[in-house]
Amino acid sequence: MPIRILAEEVASQIAAGEVVERPASVVKELMENSLDAGARRIEIRIANAGKALIEVTDDGCGIPAGELTLAVARHATSKLSAAEDLFRIATLGFRGEALASIASVSRLTLISREQNAEMGRKIVVEGGKLIANDAAGLPVGTLVRVENLFFNVPARLKFLKSDLTEKNQITQLVSRYALAYPQIRFRLMQDEREVLLSHGKNNRREVLAQIYGNDLARQMLEVELEDEDIRVRGFISPVGISRSNRREIVFFVNGRWVQDAGLSTALIQAYHTLLMVGRYPIASIFVEMSPEMVDVNVHPAKAEVRFRDADRVFRAVQRAVKRALLAYSPAPQLSSSTWLSRSGEAGVDPAWEMAYEANLAQMEVAPEPAGKETVPQPVQLPVDSLPLLRVIGQVGAAYLVAEGPDGLYLIDQHAAHERVLFEKFMREAGKEIPSQALLHPQTIELPPQAAELLQTQLAVLNRWGFEVEHFGGNTFRVRRVPAILSGLDPLIIVRSLVEDFEEDETPLQAEIEARVIARVCKRAAVKAGQILSAEEQNALVRDLERCQSPRTCPHGRPTMIHLSVDLLERQFGRRGSR
Amino acid sequence: MKASVQQQHLAHGLAIVSKAVSPRSTLPVLANILIASDDGRLRLSATNLELGITCWIPATIEDAGAITVPARTFQDLVNTLTGERIDLTLDPRTQTLNVRSGSSNTDIKGIDAQEFPPIPVPDLSEGVSLNVNDFKEMIQQVVFAASTDEARPVLQGVLLNIKEDQITMAATDGFRISVRKGLLSNPVRQEISVIIPARALTELARIATDGEQMLTMNVPPGRGQVIFHVKDAELVSQLIDGNFPDYRAIIPRSYKTHTVLSTPAFLKACKQAEIIAREGNNVVRLNILPGSDSPGVVEVSAQSEETGASQIQVDANIEGSPLLIAFNVKFLREVLDVIKTPSVALETNQNNTPATIKPIGDDDFVHVIMPMHLG
Repeated sequence: MPIRILAEEVASQIAAGEVVERPASVVKELMENSLDAGARRIEIRIANAGKALIEVTDDGCGIPAGELTLAVARHATSKLSAAEDLFRIATLGFRGEALASIASVSRLTLISREQNAEMGRKIVVEGGKLIANDAAGLPVGTLVRVENLFFNVPARLKFLKSDLTEKNQITQLVSRYALAYPQIRFRLMQDEREVLLSHGKNNRREVLAQIYGNDLARQMLEVELEDEDIRVRGFISPVGISRSNRREIVFFVNGRWVQDAGLSTALIQAYHTLLMVGRYPIASIFVEMSPEMVDVNVHPAKAEVRFRDADRVFRAVQRAVKRALLAYSPAPQLSSSTWLSRSGEAGVDPAWEMAYEANLAQMEVAPEPAGKETVPQPVQLPVDSLPLLRVIGQVGAAYLVAEGPDGLYLIDQHAAHERVLFEKFMREAGKEIPSQALLHPQTIELPPQAAELLQTQLAVLNRWGFEVEHFGGNTFRVRRVPAILSGLDPLIIVRSLVEDFEEDETPLQAEIEARVIARVCKRAAVKAGQILSAEEQNALVRDLERCQSPRTCPHGRPTMIHLSVDLLERQFGRRGSR
Repeated sequence: MKASVQQQHLAHGLAIVSKAVSPRSTLPVLANILIASDDGRLRLSATNLELGITCWIPATIEDAGAITVPARTFQDLVNTLTGERIDLTLDPRTQTLNVRSGSSNTDIKGIDAQEFPPIPVPDLSEGVSLNVNDFKEMIQQVVFAASTDEARPVLQGVLLNIKEDQITMAATDGFRISVRKGLLSNPVRQEISVIIPARALTELARIATDGEQMLTMNVPPGRGQVIFHVKDAELVSQLIDGNFPDYRAIIPRSYKTHTVLSTPAFLKACKQAEIIAREGNNVVRLNILPGSDSPGVVEVSAQSEETGASQIQVDANIEGSPLLIAFNVKFLREVLDVIKTPSVALETNQNNTPATIKPIGDDDFVHVIMPMHLG
């Protein structure tokens, strides 16, 4: 095949792929243009997760009527003129690519009126071709309407995630910018529903309340630090509040949302030992420095930046966060958990650790045909059953020790109980799920995204013994909980379910149900630290023996460690001496 | 310190205070019991910083002094001593307590008494006087309804309100609520409204053995503590800070079906049903069937996938419409267990609205349970 210069159309579609990969990236580019235009008010309307319509209206400086067509040409920008400008970029955009890229993959309408201009002008571009250019009336500012996004790139369209995911991406994006620019009024409408409204009163905590709900906003700690020419501001969650993923860690550098692993590591390190392993803080950190200290021309979507002195920036962030944490940290409480953590530090006997590793290794190798240590596979159910176990006792109020014909078993009481409850629940599937009504319905207010997620899953919850109803806005009312959860705080249960939904979405409804049940069982199961009587220990082990996949908890962690007779003999040096 | 005590006094005193020892604390001294001479008696104290218990026992004091010793060690030792008299001698230089009784001679290493947290002293003139027997019954009737969930500290407590000569206690776990009223012999001048940890009240009921006596309750202003004083013993507890749910709004004012049952018969039926129900989420169904001319009957039934099914019939006087309603059998059993009257009334509306349980002939006690729903 001969080498050819690509047709203009194809080239611009390829370029568009780098900048515009999903509806949220269009929103981002348009929003940044509005911000660069000095807007005080930005209104965003979305229909059908951005696939049908994305419309961004602002009251910024507008585009001169004669330059409208130039605005949608590639490498056309008003923000930069010479290469050396690249090193002191003060605007969010500079590549002159966004509008052209968007225009090449959608039907784009651009209407703008400059200050002092009598009339506005309107152009329509479809798939990169100008199809209309007329005079139009509108207030000062710019309106960009993007319709039928990706209509000419079916592959891209096919790879979009579910509508819910795309909608969430947009909501998340806009709320982050609303937080970064508290002086600007943001309004986001999704399918004619107001999802977010910030008042532009320059009060970050107020925006925070919009995003995370009043409760959490009140508890967030303020971060403020100035180190010569680096300024770190923002909010972080106190030690008691955490998430199971890093998604709520947000950094803005010079007003630009960036994803920088170094920055988040610095932040998480500042929490060192204060959060449990696998838990992450919620944080919105705004770092400001002079434009020369940071190179933004690294990534087409500008999600990454390069710092001239990365270490200094990381240190500044870390110091700021640490200082805020220390200033607000509560006095340590005497509780059973301190005892637990202390005993954890004492360190494990190396032999036991070795035994555990050996055990793991045995679990990981391909299953021997007659071996008793096969990898637990939900499919091959009958093979997985446990031998009869004799309970010896409880260790550290968290583990049960039991003896089987093939050695010693250490059983995690929490994980084991989770498994028992999970299978019991699953057996009852399709039958009546008993639930316990609350004396007083409890209301719970969630952040907008979480509220939307919960709303879509209400039917699932209500099928599994909850009665949760939408109570207007982002508020829900809990009337009943599954019977096995009675005695626990219903609000905490619902919150943890929502957190699970946020974790990631699976398109399989059955899997969502299994996840809800797994979470319910996790809550209801006996905790580590609970002392069990001999009868309770026995009952738990009996129930576990009857389970179909007794070796893992519903979340996939092991419920037990097996130390085989063989391993014990080797560890004690009895083998081979005879 | 040098003192002699009788073995049975010391063993009794240790049994009382040891419940407040916190063996797993990061503060070693909290695993110890304070032993101090106090005005011709021996004072024993233990605390976990939330709950503190002090007890005085008769003793012959030769030299004054104080020491703390590990609770388990000391208590286990004292319980095995057979001699009647125990001599305690402290070597202040080594902080070692010598325990000598009959042919037994033991040295126990202690921790300086100075390190023991100070235990507040009540102002007995400011206290509220309560009859021990009455107060113990009140505690018993509400305390079981408190929550055991550490995530909701307020519900782990019992609301205690005293206004003039009215005393009210209430506890709830969000699914049921127990409210008990009573009268004081001496009205108080200022209203008291506090949330006391259920655990502290349970301990108090255990300590206050002499039912005919009075106990004194003292809430020192601004300290967030409550102190109970009985003869020879004191209990101090931290109060729980927070808003207790408004229980008056929760108690239903009317009913559609009024069912009167024999308390012991109903309790027995629940206990039998629980044997089956505990394998299946504790669900029992009450089928309330009014009779046309004969008295009605309540069918108490439970079934479990794995264990089986049971049905018990209890005779009842029923006014109103028939109803099939499900409850957590544990909730029913626990409230019936503390009702002292021979008959009990169950007032219901629908199978998804709260039900009220009241002893017949005692207007001071009300218990409300939310039903279960079988979806």
